[in-house]
Amino acid sequence: MTDDATRTLGKGSIPPGPVPEGVIRLYSMRFCPYAHRTRLVLRAKGIRHEVININLRNKPEWYFTKHPFGQIPVLENSKCQLIYESVIACEYLDDAYPGRKLYPYDPYERARQKMLLELFYKVPHLTKECLVALRCGRDCTDLKLALRQEFCNLEEILGYQNTVFFGGDCISMIDYLFWPWFERLDVYGIADCVNHTPTLRLWIAAMKQDPTVCSLLTDKNTFLGFLNLYFQNNPAAFDYGLSC
Amino acid sequence: MSGGSARSLGKGSAPPGPVPEGLIRVYSMRFCPYAQRTRLVLTAKGIRHEVININLKNKPEWFFKKNPSGLVPVLETSLGQLICESAITCEYLDEAYPGKKLWPSDPYEKACQKMVFESFSKVPPLIARILRTQNKEDCSGLKEELQKEITKLEEVLTDKKTTFFGGNSLSMIDYLIWPWFERLEALELNECVDQAPTLKLWMAAMKKDPTVSSLLTDVKTFQGFLSLYLQDSPEACDYGL
Repeated sequence: MTDDATRTLGKGSIPPGPVPEGVIRLYSMRFCPYAHRTRLVLRAKGIRHEVININLRNKPEWYFTKHPFGQIPVLENSKCQLIYESVIACEYLDDAYPGRKLYPYDPYERARQKMLLELFYKVPHLTKECLVALRCGRDCTDLKLALRQEFCNLEEILGYQNTVFFGGDCISMIDYLFWPWFERLDVYGIADCVNHTPTLRLWIAAMKQDPTVCSLLTDKNTFLGFLNLYFQNNPAAFDYGLSC
Repeated sequence: MSGGSARSLGKGSAPPGPVPEGLIRVYSMRFCPYAQRTRLVLTAKGIRHEVININLKNKPEWFFKKNPSGLVPVLETSLGQLICESAITCEYLDEAYPGKKLWPSDPYEKACQKMVFESFSKVPPLIARILRTQNKEDCSGLKEELQKEITKLEEVLTDKKTTFFGGNSLSMIDYLIWPWFERLEALELNECVDQAPTLKLWMAAMKKDPTVSSLLTDVKTFQGFLSLYLQDSPEACDYGL
């Protein structure tokens, strides 16, 4: 069980108090891939943090004071500073906290990771569209083709680099930024989209062995339970799998 | 003016040689707002550089080896390293070169500037669509959308109570958004800042910045370029030379 296994806050909930010193708070949702990026970075860097899960179908009124459109993830520190957009939040954490740097030190290598992120930009949208199409019983052949093409591009890069991870031989920021969507391929029903990309499959296997990735893996049945309720528009979806 | 006023290279041109040591090269186009970001940072930081202008209506085959998407700006170092995407080139220059840092050193302040940048990112494609729209109705709809985005920025700047988006002196975020504000007059979109007095003050302050003013293009020249560009003329990129 991860440290974010708490019930969501929804409409009518009491706004949380200020963030205690020495801790950073993440407004999140257990199944959101964007928030997953931030949770990976918090864990990888060993940053003391607390998680408040938000019910995205029944957002608390006070949450709009944290984000103008009520989106997640949002970081809040003990100085009441708010940071949003998952990539900006991840970079902020890497800059603000000591210890292991997830972005490389070399400016050119940093730029390369940011260019790789640009190459990835169609993947979140395409994976979501595939999921929705499959869940609504629609044909998603074209979508899957488009997604496979994106994966081919990533496969080419790994092949050209001849490294295990996208940033080199060790896992780094770019790998964590990509990971959440790859973790979801199976439960979304589109794992076959990596059938023609063996190097990408090796990367997936290597990622699953990373202690940080491992510690935040969501089990398939829990995820399916969430998806089933989510597509029935049931606001209880977000708390699926919590015992209390 | 520096090499920024050289004729563009087009199809059939010889690929340029390697970048000499001690210099960085930017593949650019004199009127491109994205490439202007990079040129602003190069100038602001006093970085020794050379400019190769690309004819975007008649791209040289060799340019796709520099950037497979064929877009400017692209930076090339003397080590043959290539950096694409305007925001990434600007960040690279700030990190790789000494002197005045354009991004704030405080991680939160830097994150704030990136959040403003994210918010601004709807503006360039909106303006591009306005340029291409013939239909008056669609155009006024798009202008309304642009107005909304500009109002958001006006609110941000008003809340900050500082002259510039990063504080009381110019910093990275100001340079990143400037090129589109510079073009409002030439594009006859000045009305979009009519209800934005704080932004108007910011624009006036920006025009006084030595870096910004050294790279300003006058309205007539820009309009001359634009007219040819919208007709897909291969002469567009060299207009005024």
